[in-house]
Amino acid sequence: MAGFEHLLTALTPLNLAFALFGVVAGTVIGAIPGLTATMSVAVLVPLTFAMPTSSALILMGAIYTGAIYGGAYSAILLNTPGTPSAIATTFDGYPLAKKGDGDYAITIACLASVIGGLVGAVALMTLAPPLSQVALAFGPVEYFWLAIFGLSLIAALSEGSLIKGVAGGALGLLLSCIGVAEVAGDVRMTFGSQTMLSGIQIVAALIGLFCIPVLIDLVAQPGHHLKVDSGSRGFRLGEAVRYLWGDKINAIRSAVIGTVVGILPGAGGSIASLVSYSEAQRTAKPGQTYGKGEPGGIIASESANNATVGGGFIPTLVLGIPGTPPDAVILGALLVQGVRTGPSLFANQGEIVYTFIWGLILATILMLPTGLLIGRYAYRTIITLPKALLVPAIAFMTIIGSYAIRNNISDVIIMIVLGAFGWIIGRFGFTASPIVLGLILGPIAESGFVQAWTIGRATENQMGMFFGRPISIAIIVFTLFTLLSPFVLARLKKIKDQAHAD
Amino acid sequence: MQTDDRKDTGGAVISAVMIGIACLVIWDSMSYTDPDSAVFPRTFAGVLIAASLAYIGMWLFGRAKAGAAQEGGASVRRFLLVAVMLGGTMAMPVVGFIGAALPVFAALTLIAMYDPWTRFRVLVYPLIGTAIVLGFFYLFREVLLVPLPTGSLFEG
Amino acid sequence: MKTTRRSLVMTGAALAFAAGLGMTALSAPAQAEYPEKPISYIIPFGPGGESDITARMQQPFFKDKFNQDLVISYKPGAGGAVGWSGLNSLKGDGYTMMGVNLPHIVLQPQQKDVGYKTDEITMLYWFHYTPDAIVVTDDSPFKTLQDLIKFAKENPGKMLFSGSGKGTAPHLAKVRFDKLAGVKTTYVPFKGTGASVAALMGKQVTAAMAFTTVAANYEKTRLLAVAMEKRHPRFPDVPTFKELGIDIVSGAYRGIAVPKSTPEPIRQKLTSMIKAVNEDPAFLKKMEEGGFAPVDYAYGKSADDFLSKFAEEVTAAAKEAGMLK
Repeated sequence: MAGFEHLLTALTPLNLAFALFGVVAGTVIGAIPGLTATMSVAVLVPLTFAMPTSSALILMGAIYTGAIYGGAYSAILLNTPGTPSAIATTFDGYPLAKKGDGDYAITIACLASVIGGLVGAVALMTLAPPLSQVALAFGPVEYFWLAIFGLSLIAALSEGSLIKGVAGGALGLLLSCIGVAEVAGDVRMTFGSQTMLSGIQIVAALIGLFCIPVLIDLVAQPGHHLKVDSGSRGFRLGEAVRYLWGDKINAIRSAVIGTVVGILPGAGGSIASLVSYSEAQRTAKPGQTYGKGEPGGIIASESANNATVGGGFIPTLVLGIPGTPPDAVILGALLVQGVRTGPSLFANQGEIVYTFIWGLILATILMLPTGLLIGRYAYRTIITLPKALLVPAIAFMTIIGSYAIRNNISDVIIMIVLGAFGWIIGRFGFTASPIVLGLILGPIAESGFVQAWTIGRATENQMGMFFGRPISIAIIVFTLFTLLSPFVLARLKKIKDQAHAD
Repeated sequence: MQTDDRKDTGGAVISAVMIGIACLVIWDSMSYTDPDSAVFPRTFAGVLIAASLAYIGMWLFGRAKAGAAQEGGASVRRFLLVAVMLGGTMAMPVVGFIGAALPVFAALTLIAMYDPWTRFRVLVYPLIGTAIVLGFFYLFREVLLVPLPTGSLFEG
Repeated sequence: MKTTRRSLVMTGAALAFAAGLGMTALSAPAQAEYPEKPISYIIPFGPGGESDITARMQQPFFKDKFNQDLVISYKPGAGGAVGWSGLNSLKGDGYTMMGVNLPHIVLQPQQKDVGYKTDEITMLYWFHYTPDAIVVTDDSPFKTLQDLIKFAKENPGKMLFSGSGKGTAPHLAKVRFDKLAGVKTTYVPFKGTGASVAALMGKQVTAAMAFTTVAANYEKTRLLAVAMEKRHPRFPDVPTFKELGIDIVSGAYRGIAVPKSTPEPIRQKLTSMIKAVNEDPAFLKKMEEGGFAPVDYAYGKSADDFLSKFAEEVTAAAKEAGMLK
C-alpha cells in the first residue's frame, strides 16, 4: 500500500493521543442534536495552529469521524439525527430501540461506521487522484438529477398514502426556499418577518420535526420511553457481527456509495445515507422490513455516512475543493498554516498526507472500542433516567442545540413551531420524513436546475443538457428503477393475494 | 386497524391548509425581481396543490381512509410542553440563558412527572436538573465558544 | 431509587468529562488596561469561508501584539444580514466586533428590509479586498483576455461565466465587463466561490468570474485579468483590466464594525490595533501569498469616504444588472 512507511510516523504517542481524544470528543459532540461535525472541527481550529500539520489533521479528522458516528446515538435513541448525516439512521434505528433493541442497534451502528470509515480512508489512500475526477464530472444537471433521485425515496417512505407523501415532499421543498435565495438575488417567503429571513436551518428543522413529536408523545404517557427487556445483555457484539456478516454486501455497497457521494462537493453525508438507504431498501431480501426496525437500514446509513469522511478528503486534498462542510473548515485551517492543497501536495508533501491518512485509519479503528463503550453508556442513561428528568433534559438539549448551530434564537423558535406543526399533521398521516427530504434536497435541486437551465439556454441545447449527459442518464434510469419496481411488485402481490382471497 | 372504513376528514382538512400555503407561496413569488427565483417555488406550489386536490377528491368519493386511530394521552401535558419550550425560548434574549433554562427545566419536570414525589426525588431531581443545565452551559459557552444569550436585563 | 442514584452518578461523570474538555479552552491572564480580556470576533458567515479564513489569519498576529485572544464565533444566515441586523443590540464595551463585507452591506438593505441600514453600521476599518478576476483552467485555449473577448464577440451569449451568487461582486463585475468590453456573456450563479471554481475545473463553464485568491489556492487555474489599479505582486504577469482598456477596479471588501454603543476612545484604540495587525510585514506577506490585496481605510473620514464612493458605484452597477429597481 502506498505510503506504508508513514504508518510509523502516525504511531507516535502524541498522534495516538490526538486520535483517541478526537474520536471520544467527536462522538460525544455528535450525539448532541445540533452540534454538528462542522462545528466540532471549527472549535478545534485555533488549537491546531501550534501543532505540526499532520497532527493537527489527525486531530480534526478524528473528531470529524467521531462526530459523524455519534450522530447515530440520538438517531437511534431519540429519533433525532444528531448530525444531518444520521437522518436515515432514524428510519430503522428508532423503531428498533422502541422494540427494546436499542443496545443492539447501537452496536450495529458502531460496526457499520467502522467499516464505512475504513473503506473511505482506504479509497483516500490508494485512489485519491483518479477518484477526485468524480467531483469534476458532476455538473449542475447531475446534482439536479441526484436530488430528484433522493426525492424518489418519498415513495418508499410514505407509509399509508403516497399522495400525502408527495404533498409533504412538496411542502418541504417550499420550506427550503424561505429566506435569501441561494443562486438568485431575491428574498423569498419571509412575509416581512425578521425571524424568517435566515430561512429554515436544516439541522434545526430535523430536530423539530423528528424530536419534538417524540417529546410531545413522551410527556403524554406515564410509561417508559423505550421498551426495556429485563436484565443487561451487554454489547450483543456477537449477534451484531453475525448479522453484519450476513448483510456484508449492503455494508460494502453503502460504504462505496458513501465514498463516492462524499467526493461530490455539492452533496454530503445526509445525501449519502439517503441514497444508500434507498439502495438497501430496493434490494431488500424477502422478510426484511425496512422502516420498521430492520438492522440493514442502520448498516446502510451508518456505513455510508462514515465513508463520506474519507471520500470528502479526496477532492479537499487533491483539488482544494472541500468535499463536505467540515472539510471546508479543515481546508481553511491548512491555508492558515500555509499548506496549499492541490495535486502537488501528494507529490511534494506526501509525508503529511500519508501520516494523516494513517492517523484517520487509526482513529476509525479506535472508534470500535470507544464507540461501543460510549454507546452502551448513552443507552443506559436514556433507559434509566426517570421520565421527569428525561423529558426536560431532551427538551433542553433541543433548545441549546438548535441555538448553537447559528447562534440564533429564531432557529429555536422555528424548530419548536415546526415540531408542533409536524406532530399535528403527523396525526393525520403526513409523516416527517418526506418533508425533511424536501428540505434537504430542495436547495440542491433548485440550484442545479437554475444553473443547468441557464447553461442550456445559452448553448441552445436544453434537451441535451438535461437528458443527454451520460451520468445524468444513469441517475435517471436508477430513479425510474427505484420508483417503479415497488409498484410493479406490489401490483403483482395484490393480484396474487386477490387470487388467494377469491 | 378497525377504523378502515373511517373517512379521513382530518387528512382532507390538512390538504386544504396545504392548498392555502401553496397559494401564499405563489402570491409571494409575484414580487420577485429575478425570474430564476420564481420557477422552483411556483412549480412545487403547483405540485402541492395538485396532490392536495387529489386527496380531497379521494375523500369526497370516500376513498380516503384514515389510518389507525392515535392513542389518547394527556393533551394538557402536550400543550404545556410546547408552550413552556416556546415561552422559555422567547424569554431567553431578555432573561438570559440560565434565567430561562432553569425555570423551563423545572416546569418540564413537573409536566412530565407521573411518579409520586418522594422526599428523595424532591431533593435529588432539582439537583440533577441544575447540574445538567449548568454543565451544558459551561460546555457550550467555555468549550464550544457558543455566545449564549446573557439577557438584556443583566446588561449595563 | 436505584436507577435514580445511578443516573445521578452518570450525570456527574458527564460533567467531569465536560470539564476535562474545558481545560484546553481556559486561559486569559488578568491585565490592567484595555483589552483586559479576549475579544469576541463574530463572523456573519459559516466556518470555512474566506471571511473565516482571513479572520483566522489575523488571530495569531493579534494575540502576538496585544496578548489577548480573538475568539471567533459565527452567526450565519441570510448572506450575513442576520449578523449585521443584530450588531447594534450587542454589548458596546469593546469586546465585541463583527466582520463586515462589501458589496453585501450596501446592496442588501436596498433590496429588501433586512433589519439594518448601511449607515447604521459603525465601521472601524476596511482591511483588504479580494480583487475580481477572470479565471480559466490552465489548459484553457484562452491565453489572454483578448482571446476570450474575441470568442465572446463571435458567439454572443455562449461564453459562460460561473460565479458566486447574484448581486455579488463577481456578478456585478460580469455586468460591467459585458458593458465595457462590448460583449454579451451568460452568468451562471453558484453557491459560493468554491462551487463556482469546481464548475470551472469540471469544464461546466468556459471561465469563472472570481477572485485573485482562487489562483493562489487552486493549482490548475490561471488568471486572465485582475480588477486592480496595479498588478498584484503575487501575479506579476497578469495584466489589470485597466491596462487592457477596460476600466474595472472592484472586488469583495472586508472590514470590521462594532456595536453603535461602543465609546469613542475604544473605537479609536481598536481601530489602531486592527491597523497594526494589518500593517505587520509578516501578515502582509501572508495576505499577498493568499492573493488578497490590503487596503487601509480607517475609522473616520477615510472609511466614510471610501464607503460612499463604493456605494455609489456598486448601486449603479446593480441597477444595470436588474438587481435593484
